[in-house]
Amino acid sequence: MTDAIVAEGLVKTFNGSVKAVDGVSFSVREGEIYGFLGPNGAGKTTTLSLLTAVLGPTAGRATVDGLDVFHNPHDLKQRIGLVFQESTADQDLTGRENLELAAALFGVPLRDTPKRVDYLLERLALADSADRLVKTFSGGMRRRLELAVGIVHSPRVLFLDEPTLGLDPQGRAGFWKIISELRKEHGMTVFLTTHYLDEADGMCDRLAIIDHGKIVAAGTPSELKDRLGGDVVTVRPIGDGSALIPALKALPGVTAVTPQDGTLRVKCPSGDVLIPKIVGAATGLGIALAGISLRRPSLDEVFLEFTGREFREDEGPTATDRAVFMTRFQNSRQGRR
Amino acid sequence: MNVRRWAALTRRELLKIARNPAAIVTSLMLPILYLVLFGQGFNFGSSLSALPPAQRPAALHTLFLGAPDYFSYFSAGMVGFVGVTATLFVGANVIFDKLFGTLKRTAASPASATDIFGARLVAGSIQPVALAFLVLGLAILLGDLGLSGLHITVGVSVLGAFEIVVAILLLSLMFASLFLALGFTIEQPQTYFALVNAINLPVLLTSAALYPWGAMPAWLQGVASYNPVTLAVEVLRINFFGDAFYPYAAWVYLLGLIAWAAAMFAIATVLTNRALAPKV
Repeated sequence: MTDAIVAEGLVKTFNGSVKAVDGVSFSVREGEIYGFLGPNGAGKTTTLSLLTAVLGPTAGRATVDGLDVFHNPHDLKQRIGLVFQESTADQDLTGRENLELAAALFGVPLRDTPKRVDYLLERLALADSADRLVKTFSGGMRRRLELAVGIVHSPRVLFLDEPTLGLDPQGRAGFWKIISELRKEHGMTVFLTTHYLDEADGMCDRLAIIDHGKIVAAGTPSELKDRLGGDVVTVRPIGDGSALIPALKALPGVTAVTPQDGTLRVKCPSGDVLIPKIVGAATGLGIALAGISLRRPSLDEVFLEFTGREFREDEGPTATDRAVFMTRFQNSRQGRR
Repeated sequence: MNVRRWAALTRRELLKIARNPAAIVTSLMLPILYLVLFGQGFNFGSSLSALPPAQRPAALHTLFLGAPDYFSYFSAGMVGFVGVTATLFVGANVIFDKLFGTLKRTAASPASATDIFGARLVAGSIQPVALAFLVLGLAILLGDLGLSGLHITVGVSVLGAFEIVVAILLLSLMFASLFLALGFTIEQPQTYFALVNAINLPVLLTSAALYPWGAMPAWLQGVASYNPVTLAVEVLRINFFGDAFYPYAAWVYLLGLIAWAAAMFAIATVLTNRALAPKV
């Protein structure tokens, strides 16, 4: 199998100083669903914008469907589909008119256009509201229309940037059902960014965890979870618990003990059996415990393992956010005469 | 340039114009107010224009370049005014399309900058031409209603009518190019509208659209002679009131307009290409 996407040493610097993407390399096999998982501002959207020739790179090379992204942006745009985070449909046009426009822009042959548009409207459950202005559409309908616009020309590679942002769980499930069906039917390669861990876990064949512009881990969801070495028991001692570390390490089955923010993360194959032993060890040393919790391997744990931070959707402004904000602020100051 | 993409984008622009009658009414408001208020109140010479041409004071002719009264002279000016103001929205729409994400979608498609710019340019120039004829019709109608109105004193030939359409079209193309260039370059609507105001009024006030030519100081006449609004307006006046008071034939003014429109088109194409290229 050949690679549908290859990225080598991608770097994107904003304002000469903020590295939004910092040496990202990976490859996506044909027909795969590949996910970029990371918190807001990690560099996911910037990477996707580089791969779709929306942004030019500071350094690095990339090919998509065998085309050099940075030397062939025009040919590239014809072969890829792109679904943005935000709604980009024209609110003053109907769903059908938006699709017809996209069909013309992406070179769907004129005589195939009505059939293709009808098929997509039907497929994405928009047929009943096809002739309504998009401004009357619900959030879920707009997302489905974005997807229809993105695949109007049956692209070989589909890029999805946080495609289910703002959808309710039902809407998200419906959206992913359509994506997997379309992928089966057309054999598309899908590259997506998300900060929904469950989405990455359930949908992606392989994924990369990206943080501060760098890939910190990559593999299939189960590989990544396996790298945790089993369950994680988090022990929260009252006061200084460092004396507990050697005792915990000595317990049978424990593979690692890592202190983190006043807690101790204990890795072991089966945490439920270990917990009574941990309590026993702490009692023996006279160390009181404030709490103890067990987590089965999940991408939350994987994220924590590789970034040293809890995965939170809202982490406050990132360096990129601040840089973008400052640029806008300066622009608006310069623009005001 | 790809004709199908360009046509599809133009259709989109025209659909948007058709679905927003409020914008059309708004662009007509200003010229209507000028015609029914300003023009009525300012129509000096109207009592004299009732006299047979031979008995009118010669000064009146030099003042209004052959037009029978101020209103008739100024109606032609208002058409030039509409050619400028009705193109304003094309640039504003670009900025709103950026804010709503629509332009992002188009820019990510294989459509070239030429397709995107060309569609907006054509759609944005059709509307001013239509509005200009509405303004002309209204100016004539006001006269028929017994108010001050536009009195065309020479028969307009087919060639003359063609010249008028071309003049309005060239003026609209020029200003649509200018406002599109601003729209593609500027991010904030406030900045855009501030700049547009800073452009419009000086353009209008250094042209012969409003002032009686004979009353303008020589230096202002000098500046106004090169102003594209003057060039367009003079084409109308020559065809409405005869060419006795104009130094050049209508086609010379049209050549001047072609030069203006070509220059602005070239600048706008460069700026639009730059704005739509991937950000490095």
